[in-house]
Amino acid sequence: MHGIGDIDQTASADDGDELDPREAARLLARTGGDARRQFSLSPPRVSAFMAAVILAGYVVLWLSTRGQHPYQGPSGAAVAAIYSAVAVAVAVSVMVYRRATAGISGPSVRQQRVEGTAILLSYLGSPLIQGAMHHYGAGPTIVYGVIPAAGPLIIVGTTVLGVAASKADWPQFAAALAVVVAGIVALFVGPSAAWLAAGIGVFVGVAGYAAANGPYRR
Amino acid sequence: MTDPLDPVIHAPARLRIVATLAALPETDSLSFTRLQRMLELTPGNLITHLRKLEDAGYLTSETSGNGRASRTSIALTREGRAALETYTGALRDLIGGL
Repeated sequence: MHGIGDIDQTASADDGDELDPREAARLLARTGGDARRQFSLSPPRVSAFMAAVILAGYVVLWLSTRGQHPYQGPSGAAVAAIYSAVAVAVAVSVMVYRRATAGISGPSVRQQRVEGTAILLSYLGSPLIQGAMHHYGAGPTIVYGVIPAAGPLIIVGTTVLGVAASKADWPQFAAALAVVVAGIVALFVGPSAAWLAAGIGVFVGVAGYAAANGPYRR
Repeated sequence: MTDPLDPVIHAPARLRIVATLAALPETDSLSFTRLQRMLELTPGNLITHLRKLEDAGYLTSETSGNGRASRTSIALTREGRAALETYTGALRDLIGGL
């Protein structure tokens, strides 16, 4: 192991221009803000975009099931729309993660990977419960309505709550709490309205988190 | 007027280097390549300023691997963070007094 002193590079630099204290303060604030924005795993604009995409997906599910008597579940086209929304959200998340953590090494990156794995695994909870419900003969109201709408919010939201609490990230904690509460509401408003409640809850949580991160921007 | 300001930090390039590294969690390091890309400095210029900061004990650098596969990581030391805090405080006092 060696360091900067061993890099073979022709070096020439002076201390630059005279730096006025006010100018230095501006430079410090701007550089720190830029760096935090570039290192952020949830840039406000991306979070706001994700919130809109997720809300659109849930609204499609709600529209496709509204007025169903008896409840049958979302149409194939609506399911395709939500899967597309999820695919977009996953792709954007991966891109943002790679861009934000490029060149960074250390314990926090390893910690983020563990947290990300825990959150991804928690997404399996709801489909497993859904499958078990179907296996034991539960009807479409439960299997294709209440459980898939409310389950991910409660299970994934609770996992994120734990992650946020462990880091004392209170904006993220509040966002996750909003999602969990929306999931609980979705349990009791009926299978079709559950999709709308879930969509609004996730939108409020993700958009609220984006707004809370806003002050870090220049 | 700028006497209370640490001369090691009080230069545009080094101030930007320290502010960028301070945005990382305390125990993390940043690759030379990404730092250079973020600050848009030439390699030679960046190395010169990094050496000054390293000589002052404000950062550490570590290179692993050889040749094209080598990677240099740079991290702010505890002393570096403390120096930035002191510098920020001094700056605040100066601006308040202007």
